Amino acid sequence: MRRWVWRLCLIPGVVWLIALFVVPVGFVVAVSFGTVNIVGAPVYGWHPSNYAPIFQSTYTTVLLRSLAFALATTIICILLGYPVAYFIVRFGGRYRGLLLGLVILPWFVDYLVRIYAWVSLLGDQGFLNGLLHTLGVPGSPPLRLINTPYAVIGGLTYDYLPFMILPLFAVLGQIGDAVIEAGKDLYGTPTQTFFRVTLPMSLPGLMAGCALVFLPSAGDFATAQLLGGPSSYMLGNLIDGVFEGGGFWPFGAALTTLVLAVLFVPMLLYVRYALRGGAVISG
Amino acid sequence: MSEPGENVRPAVNAVTDRQEATVRVAGHDRPGGARRLLRRRNALDRPRFLYVVMAFVLVFLFAPILLVVVFSFNATHSLATFSGTSLRWYKQLMHDSALLSSLVVSLEIAAATTVVSAVLGTLLALGLVRAGKRWTRPAQTLAVWPLLNPEIATAVGLLLFFTQFGLTLSPTTITIAHITWAIPYVALILRSRIVGLDPEIEDAARDLGATDLGALRLVVLPLLWPAIIASGLLIFVMSFDDFVTSYFTTGAGVPPLPVAIYSMIKHGVSPEINAVGTVMMFLSVGSVLLALAVFRMRSAGAKEKAVVDLTGGGVA
Repeated sequence: MRRWVWRLCLIPGVVWLIALFVVPVGFVVAVSFGTVNIVGAPVYGWHPSNYAPIFQSTYTTVLLRSLAFALATTIICILLGYPVAYFIVRFGGRYRGLLLGLVILPWFVDYLVRIYAWVSLLGDQGFLNGLLHTLGVPGSPPLRLINTPYAVIGGLTYDYLPFMILPLFAVLGQIGDAVIEAGKDLYGTPTQTFFRVTLPMSLPGLMAGCALVFLPSAGDFATAQLLGGPSSYMLGNLIDGVFEGGGFWPFGAALTTLVLAVLFVPMLLYVRYALRGGAVISG
Repeated sequence: MSEPGENVRPAVNAVTDRQEATVRVAGHDRPGGARRLLRRRNALDRPRFLYVVMAFVLVFLFAPILLVVVFSFNATHSLATFSGTSLRWYKQLMHDSALLSSLVVSLEIAAATTVVSAVLGTLLALGLVRAGKRWTRPAQTLAVWPLLNPEIATAVGLLLFFTQFGLTLSPTTITIAHITWAIPYVALILRSRIVGLDPEIEDAARDLGATDLGALRLVVLPLLWPAIIASGLLIFVMSFDDFVTSYFTTGAGVPPLPVAIYSMIKHGVSPEINAVGTVMMFLSVGSVLLALAVFRMRSAGAKEKAVVDLTGGGVA
């Protein structure tokens, strides 16, 4: 088949992505240095002072909180996701496909329905508090669960856990049983075999999983909005507040640029380690 | 594919270390020493704790959504105590015209997104595999980036873009926004399938007198149909379920279903949300199971491979 046919195939998709992804992201950066006219529409210019409020403590707190929540979510996802992926690969047997499917399935339940599920579980009038009330625990509500940082981190873990499990499953599946058997044949204890054979070989998948959990958690806002409330707001909530609450758009664009800048390093790491390292089974 | 040499190296190092250790142990200890070392097993090999984590994760993942389903049939307004089955919340849903028009809008957006992104994504995937390194390297970065970019940033960008060009926010702008993340998704799923195709099949078709486009239409596309349909179903579900992009690109008109649900939750929980959530859940999960079945059609691959391929190996 002639090459030009294939090159022609690239054009529509590439043009679409440049026009409707690269250019809009450029607009975010451009507007962040601009100002607005009398009706609130963006006017381009050079006003780096739009970024000044970000360095006030109100905003740095939110930035640090977003990163802390995303980091905590990533760590919990490793602690839960690694054993699960390892279990499915090594001990899943003929239920491998079924187990993997079960673990991934909740991800296909609507994102907001999943968050709602947690609201109805943890809410002051929710299921858990109802249960505690029936058991005779005093107080109304017996336990403050919703509108806490823990609820947000739990919700984020629920949202993004499959993203940790999938790439880990992919790399762990590529490690042959033979290599692990070799480790044991040479009298490595299971712990030694794990830490010196399995874990190093699964690092690309682990890196991929961390990036895939960290990136969306750090940019999330609906979870913090519905499970956390104002005291747990993340950067996404501030951006939401500016654009949907009729705020000063250049400042919203500056906040969005900040998100892009902060998350650029994990994005780069993902492309470098995961895509090049074979964590993606796509050939 | 990764370089095999790089993957093996840590194992080899580990092996030599282990050999030395064993020789020492065997030399100094009683004869039973080495065997005891062999027998000493722990949690990683006897997976009792792995069973516990696995069970915990399954409960963690499924308990909340099962609760949503169960309480959608509750006879009272409570989300805490179940007091008899009834369909009252489904009846209320049937008469909620605002929510029903949101459902229609969401279905329209999802259908349009699916068709456009299936065509553009498949073409992009063909190009990504066959156009030659000089072209595919930058194109591939372009195709992965939208999937990694924080969705909120892409959504804000599109909002600014639409406003800049004076486009009124409407279901059309939402659809355009959805197609933007759907193209890379389709392209990456299809790419994994095209990589597995032998280019010689196309050469054979041309040897037998087919034109370039004829070979594409008569030979390549029929082989790709299952993957195209499967990824289309997935895009349908993802577009139907999408919240963040829709939220920022929704105008004053009828909001798509997830955006409507968001404002409902903000005003307080109600079993009606349970009912609409349950309906959405069955729609989405049904489509995904169908996608999986189609994707596995005509492929001898294992189930888990299909799951991994279909979800882009965790790229998105």
